[in-house]
Amino acid sequence: MTTAIRNVNKTFGSFQALHDINLDIGEKEFVAILGPSGCGKTTLLRILAGFEKPTSGLIHMDGTEVANAKKTLPPEKRNLGMVFQSFALWPHLNVRQHIEFPLKHHPAASETLRQNIGKRTDDVLQIVNLEPFADRQPGELSGGQKQRVALARAIASEPSLLLMDEPLSSLDAELRMGMRQEIERLHMLTDASIVYVTHDQNEALAMADRIVVMNRGRIEQVGPPEEIYAKPRTPFVAAFVGKANLIKGRWQNGMFRPNLAPYLQWPDHDIADELKEQGLYTLRPEQISITNELDLGLKGTVQSVQFQGKEMHYAVDCRGESFVIHTPLSSRFAIGAEVALRPDLPGLSAKQSESMEPGVQHMVYL
Amino acid sequence: MKALQRSRIGQWPVNLAKRPLRAVLFLLILIFFIMPIARLVYMAFSGESGLTFIHFKDLLAQPRTWIVLKNTMIVVGGSTLIASAIGMLLAWLMAYTDLRGKKLMLFLLYLPLIIPSYISTLAWTQFLGPEGLFEKMTSWLPFAVGPFNLYSMTGIVLVMGISHYPLVYLLTVNVFKKIPRDMEQAARCAGASRRKAFVKIVLPLAFPGIVGGGFLAFLASLDNFGIPAFLGIPARISVLSTYIYEQVIGFGASAFSKAAVLSVLLGIIALAGAGIQWLFLRRAKQAETAIIDHEPRYFLGRMRLPVECLLWLFFTITSIVPLIAMVMTSLLPAYGVAFSWDNLTLKNYAFILETSPKAKQAMFNSLKLALVTTGTGMVIGTLFAYLRVRRPNRLLKTAEGAISLPYALPGTVLALGMIFTWMEPVPGWNPGLYGSILIMFIAYMTRFLILQVRGSVTAFMQVDESMEEAARVSGTNGLAKWRKILVPLILPGLISGALLVFLTALTELTVSSMLWSAKTETIGVVILNFENAGSTAYSTAFSSLIVGCILIGGILMLILQFLWKRKVARHS
Repeated sequence: MTTAIRNVNKTFGSFQALHDINLDIGEKEFVAILGPSGCGKTTLLRILAGFEKPTSGLIHMDGTEVANAKKTLPPEKRNLGMVFQSFALWPHLNVRQHIEFPLKHHPAASETLRQNIGKRTDDVLQIVNLEPFADRQPGELSGGQKQRVALARAIASEPSLLLMDEPLSSLDAELRMGMRQEIERLHMLTDASIVYVTHDQNEALAMADRIVVMNRGRIEQVGPPEEIYAKPRTPFVAAFVGKANLIKGRWQNGMFRPNLAPYLQWPDHDIADELKEQGLYTLRPEQISITNELDLGLKGTVQSVQFQGKEMHYAVDCRGESFVIHTPLSSRFAIGAEVALRPDLPGLSAKQSESMEPGVQHMVYL
Repeated sequence: MKALQRSRIGQWPVNLAKRPLRAVLFLLILIFFIMPIARLVYMAFSGESGLTFIHFKDLLAQPRTWIVLKNTMIVVGGSTLIASAIGMLLAWLMAYTDLRGKKLMLFLLYLPLIIPSYISTLAWTQFLGPEGLFEKMTSWLPFAVGPFNLYSMTGIVLVMGISHYPLVYLLTVNVFKKIPRDMEQAARCAGASRRKAFVKIVLPLAFPGIVGGGFLAFLASLDNFGIPAFLGIPARISVLSTYIYEQVIGFGASAFSKAAVLSVLLGIIALAGAGIQWLFLRRAKQAETAIIDHEPRYFLGRMRLPVECLLWLFFTITSIVPLIAMVMTSLLPAYGVAFSWDNLTLKNYAFILETSPKAKQAMFNSLKLALVTTGTGMVIGTLFAYLRVRRPNRLLKTAEGAISLPYALPGTVLALGMIFTWMEPVPGWNPGLYGSILIMFIAYMTRFLILQVRGSVTAFMQVDESMEEAARVSGTNGLAKWRKILVPLILPGLISGALLVFLTALTELTVSSMLWSAKTETIGVVILNFENAGSTAYSTAFSSLIVGCILIGGILMLILQFLWKRKVARHS
């Protein structure tokens, strides 16, 4: 199903939860809506589901208008499935009854499905690997199994749009990783488009075809995961998705001079024009290296050192600004050590040297 | 966010015109819940030439009025004190100490709440009266204890206090349990002794619950009709509730306006009580957590066994033995006959079940009233509760207040309001409701609807909204959602609300004692009339039958609950 969101605004009293949202969701596309809590992502999802009415704007599904400011098609009449954050399993029904429920009651369930409820239920049970648990009540299931039941119920009637509201947030870290694969597999198996709301950038990056980053009721950036991660167009996206350090300075002849040390020149690693216009440079924690050759970079003092197993996490203070740096285990600095920071952009130096005039090159990492 | 969204519901009178459903709801609430009280107040102030204070002046000039007011104060004050003291002490013991067998103790503790107070009163008179069980139990003592004359102020105060302590317990026990134990531990670490920590930390935090429990006992005592009717009327001791009854039954000149004035006085005392409660609670602070901690905090050690023995003695004597005494009386051929195997007879029961047309008619009436009230209450109350929980707005909040008013008011006052409203709903038109069973049905509906609303509200609050949303996404917002999802999920709360309505309506006395007529006597009325006519054998037999039914019903309920819990393995 294709879904089009046009100029949607939503206000609760004097609070504007959504500002002018425009978004198209394609056939079979997996779209993740990513943002911090309170950014409006759940409101947008609930508008798509039909639980909330847009204050203004339109929603089209497969070309039909399903919601405007005056009228909205209720959820039970839209062809969609939904996975709730709290699972929302019915404590008095067993797993099989959960799957049968939409098959029996959903007006959009096809005639073929209706006539083969038993067969479809078995198929769905098999898809989510719950065959041995078909007769169990929700209270007798583990967290991951409950999650599977919620998924099974949502896909049972073969809806063409699947909405997921932070479906993994109530599972522990280990289970979350496993369920990600499960959801990806489900996406392959069904023909539904998926809208997946999450505040966890790793989930969004791992699963989505396209990520919509939201902040304070607005869409900050839409794009494929690689682009969102590597080429953020707003400071918020850079900080929220890549956990990047934002450095203020001046762009001059394609090189960046940080305000903290204007004598340095850092190369452009494909930074978005929008950030350049604001005089910003981004470095993700792993894009910085620490050295004790103080002349080679931005001088600072190590504030904290955390051993993280496969890498070291440092916080370094450079004249009042704090930098987060992840380095390989080989480099170790103590708290209070005077160090210098410099960009560590593998694969870039070769490209740089081609585009640079000779003689300037030696200054690149200074 | 939701709260903000809902705040846009302003100017509701304007909205009412746009929404006919709301207008109808508003109108129904006005007619059924507000009108009776308005008519009553109007009656108290209306004279031949407009509004007047003449009825008040007349009444307050009579010394009898002042005696009744004084009696009411003594009875209400005394029984509230007794109920609060026992209720709080038990609440503290049950909440904080390591007593054993708390579950069984709880069952005995709640028994006085389930048994209608006029039946327990009857039981107490059989227990403590001359030749009663108590006298026999203490006959081995070298000195004589009793017999006590329960037909006195002391008797009324004592029986009422013991009948109402479970109310205080009910309101305070969870307040105690909700006080986080680390608050007290922090005080101990800061150097306070156990006593000091209790006085300075626990007591202030429990204060709102204690005051709330005391207030409930106060209201219940003010409202209570059964105890002063059974104990006071034979001894010519009147309190406000029985005095109003005597006026209405007596049908003297200006009886209704006199009763209306007395009702207003009763209402004023209730409001004054609410005012005092508000004063107390104005500055009270609640502890921030709402987690109920069931684990014991004080270990009684060597004191445990003696305390347990004392409690068991107390529970048996106050909850069970009077009922046994009542059953014993009911098995004797006549009042005063010695209790022995040869004397036992079932003829009193035969009279109730076979001979007496009144008793059968009353059982039929009460059952019909209770069933209809429960049935309609279940539908209306549950729908109202659903709206109240899922789409709260100012109109519904106000409506809930209005619905709870008739239950908070003393029953005699409500009954009088019912008479005024439905005798002539429109001046000049008497639909003949007063005197028929219909007015009792309306009165029960008005009075007990709030019980169902509360039960269903609690049930709906425990059902997360996403349960319902999941049903909607699965394609149904109609019958299937209610039948397959909502009703099964709220069933325990729904049933416990309905059961409370049923039980209260079945054994109701106060309202029906004012509204009954020849063919519409209820169980309570018939028992009262037997007792007033001196037929103690019949009144005790009828009461024993009722208690038996209640106990059987209660046990069935417990079994059902157990089965339900097993079916729905706890949803974590």
